[in-house]
Amino acid sequence: MLELRNLSKTYASGHPVLDRVNWTFAPGEFVAIMGDSGVGKSTLLNLIAGLDQPDPGEASPIIVDGVAMSALDDDVATRLRRERMGFIFQAFHVLPHLTLHQNVALPLLLNGLPQQRADDMLAAVGLKGRERDYPHQLSGGEMQRVAIARALVHRPALVLADEPTGNLDPDTAHAILQLLQTEIRASGACTIMVTHSPAAAAMADRILRLTRSGLRESNAVNATEQ
Amino acid sequence: MSHMPSPPPRNWSGLVFGLALVALIVASFASLSLKFGEFFTADALHSMAEFVHGFFPPESGSGFVRKVALATGETLAMSALGTLLAVAGGLLLAIPGAGRFGRAARSVVRALLNVLRSIPELVWGAILLIAAGLGPFAGTLALAAHTTGVLGRLFADALENAAPLPEQSLRTNGASPMAAFFYATLPQTLPQMLSYTLYRWENNIRAAAILGVVGAGGLGQMLKYHLSLFQMQRAASVVLAMLLLVALVDALSFAMRRGLTR
Repeated sequence: MLELRNLSKTYASGHPVLDRVNWTFAPGEFVAIMGDSGVGKSTLLNLIAGLDQPDPGEASPIIVDGVAMSALDDDVATRLRRERMGFIFQAFHVLPHLTLHQNVALPLLLNGLPQQRADDMLAAVGLKGRERDYPHQLSGGEMQRVAIARALVHRPALVLADEPTGNLDPDTAHAILQLLQTEIRASGACTIMVTHSPAAAAMADRILRLTRSGLRESNAVNATEQ
Repeated sequence: MSHMPSPPPRNWSGLVFGLALVALIVASFASLSLKFGEFFTADALHSMAEFVHGFFPPESGSGFVRKVALATGETLAMSALGTLLAVAGGLLLAIPGAGRFGRAARSVVRALLNVLRSIPELVWGAILLIAAGLGPFAGTLALAAHTTGVLGRLFADALENAAPLPEQSLRTNGASPMAAFFYATLPQTLPQMLSYTLYRWENNIRAAAILGVVGAGGLGQMLKYHLSLFQMQRAASVVLAMLLLVALVDALSFAMRRGLTR
């Protein structure tokens, strides 16, 4: 589904952040990536999404579903994100002036798909009957439910989640992660979740740790990393 | 023993500026031959009373009232159409003016907006009368030109100051730049833009009434005509219509702006 080959990234300031990262992510797997602050977890997600450019060197450092991201121009990368990827952010990024239905239906609208599934997804995340509500009427946990529905509504092959429970209390975070787990199992999307929370990481099929020397498997969650 | 830090050095520039301002005001009065004493003599007060008395009662003949109503409609139409044209022009210029097509385009468009709004409506009116001829068309264009400069600048500032996160989020989700702008940034700034537009419409009603004085149609042109013939009672009816129109539009616009900001 997703292959990283010698992926490196150096900031414009000259500060190296990722150094020859290699990994292959299988379709349908739920992977948590942990690591110290500043090690490049969010940068890694931005690179995978094509929002940032890796260092030159390796010809195809990021391959999504057989497509080399670095070979795509901005328009094609935008279309690939729109059709094949879903995003969940720590700060929800729900549009305040749109109803819940309109927020969830946006990826469908952008992809020219029928919008009926938006209401089905809202029901799936426990927000049935609230389609006409606005985000200001929701709690943080409810907003993240909307964000999950929006990320999965167009059946993406790859879901990228950046600290999805970072702004939530532990109980709500647990409920949201269970919901995320259920929904990605149902959709079969490969999901990469960046998190500092061991509890969140424990919900994933596999835990990876990002360090200066790259990605490595780490099923032992460090309890001090709360 | 602890020492207090030394006080900051005294800033004398404010005092110097204040003194220079007072000196300028004194010099202005001294250089003009103002005769305030004569202004308040019994003769002057008598002439003023006679002048004001000439306005009463305002002309209320049905034929004349119909003419005033038509001119009121013309003034209202000039202000509404001028504002509408300015909204379209202002929005078009605000997009590059907000830096969406690079810094060079932003600077050029901002300079153009500065030129448009630094020329007052009356001057635009005088210029456009030569191009478009006497009548409300020139007045409408004059209002549109000045207001495009004002609204373009305000719209560009609103777009620049809009929270960037919603648009970024949509771009991340694969929306094109245009879709992200129309779904995220424009709806955010729309209430503010509507509020600015209504406020400018209020201003343009007043400006449209004055523009008539240079021949751009409407109530202003009627006012100038009757004043120049010393038909004070007719002029009083025109002034009354102006007051009513401005009060009506002010109240309407105020109510709409309050509704928008709730």
